[in-house]
Amino acid sequence: MKITRDEARRIADLAHLEFDDAALERMAAEMTKILTYIDQLREVDDAGKIAGATLSETPMRDDEVKPGVSRDDVARNAPAWRDGYFIVPKVIGE
Amino acid sequence: MSDPLSLPFTEARRQLSAREYVGASLRAIGEHNAKLNAFIHVAGEGAGGPLSVPIAIKDNIVTRDMPTTCGSQILAKFVSPFEATAVSRLRAAGWSIVGKTNLDEFAMGSSTEHSAFGPVRNPWNTARVAGGSSGGSAAAVAARMVPAALGSETGGSVRQPAAFCGVVGLKPTYGRVSRSGLVAFASGLDQIGIITKTVRECAELLGVIGGHDPLDSTSSAQAVDDYGADVDRGVRGLRFGVVSEAVEKLEGEVRTNFDAALEILRRGGAVVEPASVPTIGHAIAIYYIVANAEASANLARFDGVRYGHRSARGKTLRDLYFDSRGEGFGAEVKRRIMLGTFALSSGYYEAYYGRAQAVRARLRADFDAAFQRFDFLLTPTTPEVAFPIGAKTDDPLSMYLSDIFTAPANLVGIPALAVPSGFSREGLPLSLQIMAPHFAERALFRAAAFFEKETNYWRRAPKL
Repeated sequence: MKITRDEARRIADLAHLEFDDAALERMAAEMTKILTYIDQLREVDDAGKIAGATLSETPMRDDEVKPGVSRDDVARNAPAWRDGYFIVPKVIGE
Repeated sequence: MSDPLSLPFTEARRQLSAREYVGASLRAIGEHNAKLNAFIHVAGEGAGGPLSVPIAIKDNIVTRDMPTTCGSQILAKFVSPFEATAVSRLRAAGWSIVGKTNLDEFAMGSSTEHSAFGPVRNPWNTARVAGGSSGGSAAAVAARMVPAALGSETGGSVRQPAAFCGVVGLKPTYGRVSRSGLVAFASGLDQIGIITKTVRECAELLGVIGGHDPLDSTSSAQAVDDYGADVDRGVRGLRFGVVSEAVEKLEGEVRTNFDAALEILRRGGAVVEPASVPTIGHAIAIYYIVANAEASANLARFDGVRYGHRSARGKTLRDLYFDSRGEGFGAEVKRRIMLGTFALSSGYYEAYYGRAQAVRARLRADFDAAFQRFDFLLTPTTPEVAFPIGAKTDDPLSMYLSDIFTAPANLVGIPALAVPSGFSREGLPLSLQIMAPHFAERALFRAAAFFEKETNYWRRAPKL
């Protein structure tokens, strides 16, 4: 699978990652090499089923309210915080 | 008395007080860490409770009293508001957390060179990698800085560095150990693992950290076993399958060492015969789609808003996302997010993600069939010994292929253990991998303990 520079830019946009032109070129080349290796999977016969790592179904739990983490601890890790809110750049009118 | 850190903790804790034991560990860390770079944070004196045995924790497992960086700039200052279940269980059992170990950023790597805090060096030869991504944990145990460490596995990140550093590494069955507080890489594959010098220590620790946890719905309700109960029973009559498709191309010292390991099991009365897992050669291709797809979703949470690095550059919300992630993530993490985003994107989802999951089902069926005939499956843990620092950093695919024998166990969810099997002519460790069916850890420890007793490689320590 060949990844062009334009394709790499489209994926970077989906992934919210910024690359300069040289880095994007390098990324496209590396992805091409890795995906070419991965293309071996096309040759395998499969039963059309999919599998996970567990034997059993994941159980459901009751939807109960429980104590969360403390607001002070959350505030301590926040890059910008005021009056109990995360501060972000203005969104409206962008 | 000899150095307490050269003994298994099962013996050392009987010979010295908690304070002496933790003090000895902190001194050893102080002495060797500048050379090995195994630790990102070290606890202060007085860490731990009255029953303390020192243990190190990989720095992608959250602790309240020390930062959790995941080896990334994006979490360089992060201190978790809660503690991982495995860590809480250790503390409740009297263990003392003496430090957080270095890792490939977000556990993405096989050499611990992809860490924002610099590479870990192999205690047996400091020009070599320690393996990864739990390279700090493996190096710390091998260098006798701590008797035990927790690591994490997504495709071999405990077993491969354990092999490169000459120590025991366990990846438990998926669901055996709670993932609560293990920073998510690929949630359907991730599992906390254990690194120790000996098999018996590893078995005891699994009993401490294993078991159901309401905070992780994928943790199993299956009862915690008496994991060390059978370690003295030997292997007579047990059936070991040698995975033909994996070992047919082995050569050189890895081949001779592996063949010698098979002979040791045969001499113990085990049945050792060829086994077939036809799709095992596709494991890395499957892994790099499934793991990266999950990673691209999991790492979307790092956006510079709620915690972690925020870029000072941009003016808009879009800039904030792109610049914070661009500055915070390293090259390998970006590469994996890109591959995962591609595999899940419109137009490619069926051909890549769907295809990988379908071949994974075949792999699972192949393992199930092999375990109808055998109690265990065997391969070397790695296709080669620890490689020189820098040898693979420019070739991501060749780095990925160093997990070729370990990734299958993660994809099918089974437990697997790396046990030291000798040394190369250059003095670098070699390792045997034993895989067992889901939740057969007790049997796995039995087989590995026999091999360990016959070989005693764990007694050899690196000269630092």
